[in-house]
Amino acid sequence: MNMKDIERKLRHVGYKQAKLYFFCNLIALMIITAYILLMKSPTILTILPEGGDSRRQMYMIFALTLFGCVVFTIYSASLFFRKKTRQIGILMALGASKKQLIPGVFREVLTLSSLSSLAGMLAGIPLIYFLWNSFQLLVESSEMTLHLDYTALFLSGLFILLVIVISCFTANYYLSRTNIIDVIQEEHRNEPVKKLGKWCGPLGLLLILIGAILGYSAPEIWLNIFHRYPSAFVNIFYAPVFVGLYLVMLHTVVHGWHFDRKNPYHNIISRSMMKFQGKQTVNNLLVSTVLIAGACFAIFYIPMLATGQLVSVSGWEFDYMYDYRLDQTVPSQTEIEKLAASHNLKLKDWKEIPYITLAQDGETQVEEEDQSFHYEYQQLLEETKYVSETAFNQLTGQTLDILSGTFRLITDKDDNAAMYAKRSDSVLTNMNTRKTLSVTYEGLAYFSMLTGKVPYYILDDKDYAEISQGLSSDWMGSAHFFNADGEDIYAFADEFFHTFVKSFGPECEYPAYYDRVNKIAANEHGEIYWGDTDDMTKISLSMPDTSDFRAYWAFMPKFRSLNMNDFMNTFAVYLMTFLFIFIVCVTTACVICYTRCQTIAINNRYIFDDLKRLGASPAFSNREVRIQCKRVYHTPAVVGMTMMFLLYFMIMYANDGRISIPELAGMAACAFVLVLIMLLIYLVYRKTVTIMRRELNLI
Amino acid sequence: MLYVKNLRKSYYIGKTEYPVLKGVNLHVAQGEFVAVMGPSGSGKTTLLNCISCYIPYDNGVIALGGQKLGNMDDTTLAKIRNEKLGFVFQDFMLLDGLTIRENILIPRIIKGSVGKDGENLADQLIRLFGIEHIQNKYPAEVSGGERQRTAVARSLINNPLLLLADEPTGNLDSKASRNVIESFEEARTQLGATIFMVTHDAFSASFCDRVIFLKDGLIYKQLEKHSDRSIFHSQLLDTLKEMSGND
Repeated sequence: MNMKDIERKLRHVGYKQAKLYFFCNLIALMIITAYILLMKSPTILTILPEGGDSRRQMYMIFALTLFGCVVFTIYSASLFFRKKTRQIGILMALGASKKQLIPGVFREVLTLSSLSSLAGMLAGIPLIYFLWNSFQLLVESSEMTLHLDYTALFLSGLFILLVIVISCFTANYYLSRTNIIDVIQEEHRNEPVKKLGKWCGPLGLLLILIGAILGYSAPEIWLNIFHRYPSAFVNIFYAPVFVGLYLVMLHTVVHGWHFDRKNPYHNIISRSMMKFQGKQTVNNLLVSTVLIAGACFAIFYIPMLATGQLVSVSGWEFDYMYDYRLDQTVPSQTEIEKLAASHNLKLKDWKEIPYITLAQDGETQVEEEDQSFHYEYQQLLEETKYVSETAFNQLTGQTLDILSGTFRLITDKDDNAAMYAKRSDSVLTNMNTRKTLSVTYEGLAYFSMLTGKVPYYILDDKDYAEISQGLSSDWMGSAHFFNADGEDIYAFADEFFHTFVKSFGPECEYPAYYDRVNKIAANEHGEIYWGDTDDMTKISLSMPDTSDFRAYWAFMPKFRSLNMNDFMNTFAVYLMTFLFIFIVCVTTACVICYTRCQTIAINNRYIFDDLKRLGASPAFSNREVRIQCKRVYHTPAVVGMTMMFLLYFMIMYANDGRISIPELAGMAACAFVLVLIMLLIYLVYRKTVTIMRRELNLI
Repeated sequence: MLYVKNLRKSYYIGKTEYPVLKGVNLHVAQGEFVAVMGPSGSGKTTLLNCISCYIPYDNGVIALGGQKLGNMDDTTLAKIRNEKLGFVFQDFMLLDGLTIRENILIPRIIKGSVGKDGENLADQLIRLFGIEHIQNKYPAEVSGGERQRTAVARSLINNPLLLLADEPTGNLDSKASRNVIESFEEARTQLGATIFMVTHDAFSASFCDRVIFLKDGLIYKQLEKHSDRSIFHSQLLDTLKEMSGND
């Protein structure tokens, strides 16, 4: 028998700890790998626009997940060594030198960390396939076909390296300790957290609030003060949120939020257990809270988008609306009626109104090379659409009287007209004759179906006629509205949509944000219009079922049944990406909480034994276990979810100084989702309590 | 054999210094069985841990077999712990995954190789301490007394100059305690072991040749056994009473 034999036998004894360490690393790598593969997947990169909010959110939550996984990995390594050090300490006490112990310890830790990480990385691939294919059972869309870029595994490789480095550093830390008694007693070492007064909880809540407001408004303030686009550095203003979170967690661990004056010793055992391993507990709670907040941020995307769509579509005045430029030949009313008849449908309430497209003036931000900007007035700023007051009244049945020299913006009841639509006096320009018309802004008019990415305005009939003179057909258009009676509404809508798209020529193959006025103005200044070189503007008439096309095509019709039925398919990749991120974040948070509870069971076993000796009933010990677990699971869940819900509410309100009906409905849906998440976490909590009770021989 | 001169050791909590050993002087002769007694916080275990090289000390000299133990590198200290010292702890410190026999052999294994003489010595110790029937069992399967006798056997496997025992009977009932103390006696008489034991238990200490009383980090008194063990036991109890009466 030699040292290697001893090490082998001791490894066998420490199997449980090694298994937990292996499991922790495997989960961390599996989650990180799956996230990286998703993030770098051509499927996602094609759909989520570069520089867009969705991609930014995906990266931001990845940063949170990465942070969580790194902390988790460090924690699991130290947990493994805390158990391992008793063996190391005894061998050192019996005369084993560090030189003798180092090879065995490092061999074990390197094998465990590298194998677990490698297994985690490999498990990440089936995980993403499993989740994505499960999503495809819910949503069928050609865009959902998952393509993976395996070179992204290089990033997982870096994380593996990090895990190995962390394990080696931890091993070295424990081996380099000189006080053998401390090494032997490491398992029972307390890590009390610095005790702060009871003010730390309320101060933490205040800091969270201040950080959220500061962080959200900092870019806007920066923009206004420095006339320069803010760098990523400006996110530092969110820092008080994290300090606040730490203080809240500290308060939870040290003081708790309930103080029973009649029974001050209530929960004294569970609180003391938490307090004396406070450092690890607070860190764990903090990471789990951040992950749950990230999960909520991701999942809120789905109810907000779905509810917004639902409320918006349900507010449409007609079942069908389409518009087109007059230089295009689209199916006529007769042809559409014929098509409808083939689906046993009868069209009714047919209305059509002409519109014109004019240039609107305004101030725009002109960016310098150093990312600063200044405001500049441009007469040919952007294209906007105009209808005459008679056409509007005929369409809506209203009796608006627009005075000559004035104009109104068309919006819906919740005023969801284009966010940046100009709401002040303007100079309008006919792009063919360059004739101008100065108009005074008179306020709003209401009609849901004439709100969109390019805003519609109403002009006085005389002004409309005058400014229209000399306009070529590509600056003029027609908007048609109708309803349909019958059963097979979706099939008709789908066929009509594809027929309609096919009737357009390549000159109309551009998204709504491709601004022809802006392009002409840029070309006249000898500049190249950004839209002619940017990939974001590339959409194709031959791919009308892609999410880009349906979300951004300049002439995308509004068919109620199509929008309602195809919503999931159209936004499938967006929705599933955020659902995936949600699953990843919640899983990571639950695994961290579970591991923490396992640690509590392992580290405090002797306390539960002592309690038994002191006559504690199983019911009493079970209650202590439940209280411990409850804090670990419930605190991050409640804080993370509440924080993100309030932050979302604040963002909604700060956007336009009000909460609209779709936003309110969205928030209600989010609240329902939170209840589901809470239920999920509760189930995991219950399972963990059962496992802990079994490990502590309480059942 | 063991020579301790003006040994000082303090613990620090934050910036506050708590002196535990305030200049301890003692010596233990070859083949002697010495106990250290004293109230809690008197510095008994700290003294033992300093002699064991488990914790560093601040000042003073500790010499074992003529060799000073201070200012040594980790490898040399480990070699001394392995070859010149044997240890018996209050909570046995046996490794759970190894059998009783394997636990006894660990210091030999750490030293390099077990060899035939190691196996023979293990057999001899196992017989001497009456643990043949459990030698292939694991620590979790045997009684506390048997575990401690295993620990005594383990401490002797490398023929150390000095056997250090920290409250060896602290976790045992009276019958098991007596068996363990008898093991020490057998180790001394049959193997010529020198034993330095820290204990609270006057009964266990009454088996020793000499008892050193420690109080507030200094040696309070030393008593030698000149006569019958029960008389010596009474003397020890009287001294303990005297020490607590002086408080």
